[in-house]
Amino acid sequence: MIRFENVGMRYGMGPEVLRDINLHLSHGSFHFLTGPTGAGKSSLLKLLALSHRPSRGLLSLFGQEVSHLEREDLPDFRRKIGVVFQEFRLLDHLSAFENVALPLRIAGAEDDLVQKNVKELLNWVGLGNQMNARPPTLSGGEKQRVAIARAIINRPQLLIADEPTGSMDPEMGLRLMHLFQELNKLGTTVVIATHDIEMIRRFRHPVMYLEDSTLHTTTPTAYLARFEGM
Amino acid sequence: MKFSLLSKPTELQLEKDASSKYLPVVIAAMVFLASLALIGLFSINSAISDWSGAISGNLTVEIAYDKNGDMDQRAEDAVAFLKTVPGINEVRTITKAETAELLEPFLGRADVIENLPLPRLVEVTVSENSALDLLATATQLENTVPGAHLNTHRPWLDKMLLLARSIQFLAAAIMFLISMVTIVIIVFAARTGMVMHHDIIEVLHLIGARDGYIARQFQDYFARLSLFGAVPGLIIAIIVMQFFTYLASRLEAGLIQPPSMVLEGWLALALLPLLVAILTTVTVRWIVLSSLKRMM
Ligand SMILES: Nc1ncnc2c1ncn2[C@@H]1O[C@H](COP(=O)(O)OP(=O)(O)OP(=O)(O)O)[C@@H](O)[C@H]1O
Ligand SMILES: [Mg+2]
Repeated sequence: MIRFENVGMRYGMGPEVLRDINLHLSHGSFHFLTGPTGAGKSSLLKLLALSHRPSRGLLSLFGQEVSHLEREDLPDFRRKIGVVFQEFRLLDHLSAFENVALPLRIAGAEDDLVQKNVKELLNWVGLGNQMNARPPTLSGGEKQRVAIARAIINRPQLLIADEPTGSMDPEMGLRLMHLFQELNKLGTTVVIATHDIEMIRRFRHPVMYLEDSTLHTTTPTAYLARFEGM
Repeated sequence: MKFSLLSKPTELQLEKDASSKYLPVVIAAMVFLASLALIGLFSINSAISDWSGAISGNLTVEIAYDKNGDMDQRAEDAVAFLKTVPGINEVRTITKAETAELLEPFLGRADVIENLPLPRLVEVTVSENSALDLLATATQLENTVPGAHLNTHRPWLDKMLLLARSIQFLAAAIMFLISMVTIVIIVFAARTGMVMHHDIIEVLHLIGARDGYIARQFQDYFARLSLFGAVPGLIIAIIVMQFFTYLASRLEAGLIQPPSMVLEGWLALALLPLLVAILTTVTVRWIVLSSLKRMM
């Protein structure tokens, strides 16, 4: 469903922050993406989220070569992808409710449906009391949950999350990981960037790690073995 | 282009975002100045036509005093001649007594004045829109009645017209300048506003909004902001104009007429806020679309 062939990426005229990325994610898979800070995790996710173009190589999503797509077709692709940004990127002037409702409204959903789904989801992530709060008045973990709710409200086929549990307590982090698992069971392909080895140990999904600007894929056991005895 | 200024609040509720609230103030100031220039332009225009109308509508014939001539006869001759000229509505001799009365405040007792060597006056009213050739009539009159002179006020009027036209030209130049500056300011204000909203544009883009959708949200919002500035700016300008009208009417000087506007002037004023809103819409749309083009 997602295929990278010799993909490279750079910002502007800068050096390549990613090179020779080869990657295949099948439908319904669940992957962790890890690597030291500055390795390029967020950059790789930007390629997946269709927010940056690769500077070289082939990238295909949902069976289509992305560079061949017309500009008008991209929004429909993006609506099938839910993204939790590392820095949340919520709209500060809208309430938590309206932030989560935005993808549905953009897609032209009926208001009844919006009301029902958004309330249900916000209740589920424990923000039932803060639906009308603006993001600047929320804590880091609360903002993160609003961002996650916005990413999954559309039931995306692909969910990309950049350190989605970094700002909350372990209990809430686990609860959200279980939510991602549930979505995965319903068919959503999930990629989660994380620094958290405990998370990898606990959930045992295949690990992709970035090293020297390029990507390696391995099993959780093999990846964790590198840290044994440390 | 769709123009949905009075539509329901949009999903984005940009009006809750305070970062562009200064825009109406800037626009109000510019529209105020532009309106004043426009009012000036049209007022001078109607003042000119008032003067020409008033002056060419009423003429006087002056028959110089001649102690050997029969002044009454000459006045009658002049009246008889003027009545044959097409385009002249009314001819009336101003009697000796009336002349004396007119002069009484300046010269003293009327019965004394009546014996002075005064010229005789004939009042002539030209019918409106007549194609009367004043110069030809004046020459003919002078040939028919000795000592008669038709006072056309023409040279004086010409000078006034020249002055008025120069002022009008200046007002038009100022109007043009203000329009240019207003356009630049609107473009600049819209641009600054858009820079402040760049993050929102990017997020909307990334969660799958189409370019047209994003542009519409912003152009409608900014056009509304513009209108909120333009309408008060215009209203204040009209109030200022009314105030000057009041001052001028208290002067009661025939020349400095209160600014009065023709229908075209009011139409131009009413179009001003609309024009500003359209300009803002087009600018914002252009900026949003071009910043989206730079994204994937
Ligand atoms: N917008 C940008 N413009 C230029 N360079 C950038 C930009 N964003 C990231 N980089 C560079 O790309 C490299 C990879 O950054 P990236 O954010 O992808 O790392 P990361 O793995 O997500 O790090 P972290 O774990 O700290 O989030 C870094 O060297 C960074 O300096
Ligand atoms: Mg990152």
